[in-house]
Order: sequence, then structure tokens, then C-alpha cells
Amino acid sequence: MSATFDGAATDIHQQEAAAAASSTATQIVLCLGPWYEDTTADHLAPLLTMLRDALRERTSQALIAYPAADPQAAAWQHEGFVIQPYASAAKLHTLPVQIAATYLSLYEIMRAHDATCGLLLGPEAHTLHAEALRALVEAVLNGSADLALPRYAAGPNEGLVNASILYPLTRAVFGVRANFPLALDLALSSRMAERMATAAQSSTTASQPEALLWPAAEAAVAGYTVAEITAGTRELPHPTGADLSSILNTIGTSLFTDIELKASFWQRTRPAVPLLQLDAVPIAPLPPPPPVSAEEISELVESFRIGYGNLHEIWSLVLPPQTLLGLKRMSRLPTEEFALPDALWVRIVYDYVLAHRLRTINRGHLMGSLTPLYLAWVASHIMANGSALPDALPRAFDADKPYLVSRWRWPDRFNP
Amino acid sequence: MFSQVKFALLDSFSRVLTTLARFLPGVVALFLAVGLLALVGAALAWAVRTVLTRMRFDERVARENSAGVSDWAPAHSPSLLAGRIIFWVCVLLGLAIGISAYDAAGTSDIAPYLLPYLAHSVGALLILIAGTILSRYLSRSVLISAVNAKLNYARALSLGVKWLVLIFTGAMVLDHLQIGGLIVELSFGILFGGLVLALALAFGLGSRDLVARSIERTADKATPIDRTAERASETPRSLRHF
Repeated sequence: MSATFDGAATDIHQQEAAAAASSTATQIVLCLGPWYEDTTADHLAPLLTMLRDALRERTSQALIAYPAADPQAAAWQHEGFVIQPYASAAKLHTLPVQIAATYLSLYEIMRAHDATCGLLLGPEAHTLHAEALRALVEAVLNGSADLALPRYAAGPNEGLVNASILYPLTRAVFGVRANFPLALDLALSSRMAERMATAAQSSTTASQPEALLWPAAEAAVAGYTVAEITAGTRELPHPTGADLSSILNTIGTSLFTDIELKASFWQRTRPAVPLLQLDAVPIAPLPPPPPVSAEEISELVESFRIGYGNLHEIWSLVLPPQTLLGLKRMSRLPTEEFALPDALWVRIVYDYVLAHRLRTINRGHLMGSLTPLYLAWVASHIMANGSALPDALPRAFDADKPYLVSRWRWPDRFNP
Repeated sequence: MFSQVKFALLDSFSRVLTTLARFLPGVVALFLAVGLLALVGAALAWAVRTVLTRMRFDERVARENSAGVSDWAPAHSPSLLAGRIIFWVCVLLGLAIGISAYDAAGTSDIAPYLLPYLAHSVGALLILIAGTILSRYLSRSVLISAVNAKLNYARALSLGVKWLVLIFTGAMVLDHLQIGGLIVELSFGILFGGLVLALALAFGLGSRDLVARSIERTADKATPIDRTAERASETPRSLRHF
């Protein structure tokens, strides 16, 4: 493992020599992603204030690492923090998510300083509650968890990709019940950071330093403990320069590939991964979301209908006849009665996972053809207007997992 | 007179039999060469497939090349593809050897003409296969992109792209086989030029506003924008997908 990362770590080791000498017993490494490249003290000021409030007596044990384009950039100190530049090949991703190169950098810095806790922070991290960040760090430092994920407070019309696919699928397949499996901010123990770095290494050697990684799935496979900390609201930046279809493609492809790689793990019946739930920020009722206009809903339904009219040929390669029949019924429903049942959506997602594995059609096309179906789910979700039970969809995913396992093992078996 | 008729008939019969006797070994050699090499090809293809399957070649390719060439023909596994290529290379080799053997039997002198044409035919076949795969890939890409852009005429657009590529492929194949000569070039030029002109006119006249808005958006993206100003100018959205 150490030998694998030696080449990539050379620059970091050189840069860290001075800072490592000055910092005594660094326990926490806070690694900032590519959003903070060549950052200055002024830009970091709000974040440092929040970090000081969060870490308190642990401030002197923390090291903040930020990506720097200049390999000669030197470490500096500010408000009691040692701020350390690191060389990173990662470019700004269109999605505000942690990428493979950042995990690799975090592990290198943690190893260089023999730190026990690593923290990855996403863009706009200063809007995170200080209590939430402290709880993330404490969960790892006191040894109760190897991976600590925040549970952001999100309205019913926010984080829809997460609510429809990422959370329920990760929960059903890997047994991890963390609500945000692709969280922007997360804390890792040293062994969890090492495991993520190993996963990141295979992506970076395949010239994909910007690949997405799934820490919750890695923790489940490794048998590590996971903690979920209520984090309240946080400013979640919009993806830049990417449309919905390409976002779905990027995230969906990454998750489906991860499911394929870990098939030997999840095909066996296992109990759910124990999840340590901590309340750092009390769960308060959110202000009501802005109403979704009727025009917006009919636009979503119309997107599905256009998809049904044109993509039927492609969907028939991926979905079984029963699902296609369900979609046909939906396409004929008036907008006011439009609804996509949970069971149907679950089957659609599972069949897409299977088609992705079997390469039934080109993977780019496959994920592209999911967009109208996803928009149908969004329309149905909005029209349900909170009448459905909050856990209904994840439970439907859990209940139908045998279908996924069965078709994964015997894809050619008759499937009406 | 009868003796002359008899002589003419016997002479003709003898000539036909002689020609047949010279012709048959060449044909037999041709079929034998093709048959033998096909058998060798089948055996080699089986061996290669077996070795690749034992090496888990398909899984490695799938793992290391998740968005690579294998996506273009997803129905076939890479090891099956390798086996088929080996088989057909052997068959073609057998055909070339057979034609040479046919010539060596002294029947004709077609090998110098036929072999280069055979090579051209293989090239044309490859162009045809590549064109067909490309047309399917592009038509599906256009269809999905158009549907996601909520265009009602997505299917028509996709069909247009498919036939454009197929026509282009057909013209290339005919040109490669040297069939039709100038007629193909001229008709293809007229057809393709006409289509492009028609599309340009339709797009230019029918979508002026759309193009203007698109150019404005591109210009906006090219200009560095202060993040705060950008956020302030964003219209509030009631839905957040990510």
C-alpha cells in the first residue's frame, strides 16, 4: 500500500517537511477540495472562524490542507491553524462532490502526519454548523465510527436525485442507512482513509482522477462502523455547466459500476450495517418549500410523455413487458392524476442497474434514457405532496431486492 | 460427311472434357483450401475463446474500459469478437489461397485481378459494418439528446441522422468497390449538399431566435462572471435535483 502511493506523495512530503516540524501531534487533517485551489487567508476567513468554533481545544491539533497550483507554495499559519498547500491533479468537477484525487491527497497528508482523523470539506463549507462539524470529528476521534456522514436538513423538493436513487439504492444494496451516501463533507478514520485511497488509486491509475467514490459502500464492504450526524441546513451549491441528463449519467454510472464491482458482497443476505445516529444539530421544521407551479409539473409530465413517445424502442430493450405496460398506463393519465407507483420506480431502477451490468445498450445511452423516467418520478413525488410515508420508497427498494439478486444471477430467466 | 460430323463431335467432346479436367482440380483446390482454412479458423477461434474465458478477459476489459470500444457493440463480448475475427481472417486466407491454386491449375489468370478486388471487398465490408454501427450509435445519441431537450420531433431528427450516415456509408462502399464511378460521386454530392442546404435553411429561418439565445448563452459562459453576481441573477428554482 505504502509503495503504491510513494510516487504521488513525493511533492506532498517535500512541502510538508517544514510544517510538520512546526505542528506538534497533528491529529486532524482537514482537506479542502479543488474548490479552494490557491485560496487566500481572506477567502478562508469565514471557514476558519467556523472551524475554530467547531474544534475549540483541538484547533492546535488540526492541519488544513488546500490544493495549490504552485508546487513551491509554502505552509502558513493563521488564527492558530497550520495551513498547508498540497499538489493535486484534480480539476474542478461539474458536480460539487468529493472525487478520487481528493481522497488520495487526504490519505497522503494523514499518513505524513500520522493523523487519526481526516475530514473532507465541500464547497461553501463555512455554512456548515460548527456543532455538526465537531460531531463529525468527535465520532471518528473517540473511535465510535470509521466513517461519519452528515445528515443535512433538506426540503421535500431538494436533493431529488439522492432521494429517488442514491439513498434508497445504497440502503437496499449495501445495507447502509445513511441518508446522504454522497455527502459533501465527511470524516474518516485512518483505516477508512486508507481504504478510500486504495479505491481512489485504481481510479487515478485508470486516468480518472475525477471519478466519484462511494464511502458508505466501501465502509459496508470493509465492515467498518458508520455514523450519521444531523447537520441542519447547509448551503448546497448548484452543479455548474452540467444539465440534468449529464448529472444523472455521471452519478448513476458511478453508482451502478460500484454495485457491479461489489456484487459478491451484496448478493449475500446480510443484516443492515449498524448506523450510529448522533444529534448534533436539533432537527427543526424547515420553512415550507416554494410551491411548484402547475406549469412546472406539466412540463415534467410532458418530458415523460415525449420520452414515452420516442424512447419506447430503447426502453423495451431494458425494461420487462410488465414495466412497459405500467409506463403505457402512466402516459395516458391526465396530468392531475399522474402518479408513478413506488414499486414501478423500484423495478425501473433495478432493471437499469441490470442493463448497465449486462451492457444491453451503450451505457451512455442507457443513462440518457433514464432522464424522462426520473422526471416522471419527480412529477409524481411533487404531486404526492408529502402524502406518502417518508420511508416508503426506501422500504420498497428493500422489499424488491430479491428481484435484483435473482436477475443478477440469472439474467436470461423468463421475466414477464 | 458422317465421319466429319463424328470427328467434329468427338473433337468438341474431347475439348470440353479436357477443359473440365483442367478446371475441376482448380475448383476442388479452391473449395478444399476454403474448407480447410475454415476448419483451422474455427479451431483457432475456439482455442482463443477458451483461453480468453479462462483468463477472464471480458471481465478485465469491462473493468478497465468502462466507457470504451466495447460499448459500441454491447451485445458481443470481447472474447467472442476476437474469436470471430480470427475465424473470418482464416476463411479469407483460405479464399485467397484457393484462388491462387485455381490459377496455378492453369485454368485462368484471374488471381492478379480478383485478389486486389477481394481486398477491396473486405475494406468495403468493414466500412459497411463501421457505418452501420456508427449510424445506430449516432441515431440513438441524437434521439436521447433530443428527447432530453424536450423536442417533439426527436424521432424524425434521429432517423435523419441515421439515414444521412447510411447514405454516406453506402456511397463510400460503392466508391471503394469502384462501382458506378462518377454517377455515385455526383449523386451523393447532390443529395448530401441538398440535404445540408435544406437543413441550414430550415434551421436558419425557423430557429433564428433559438440560435440567438444560444449564442448569447455561449458568450455569457465565455466571460468570467463573479460568483456572487451569478448567484444573485439566478432565478429562484422550486426544484433541486442535486
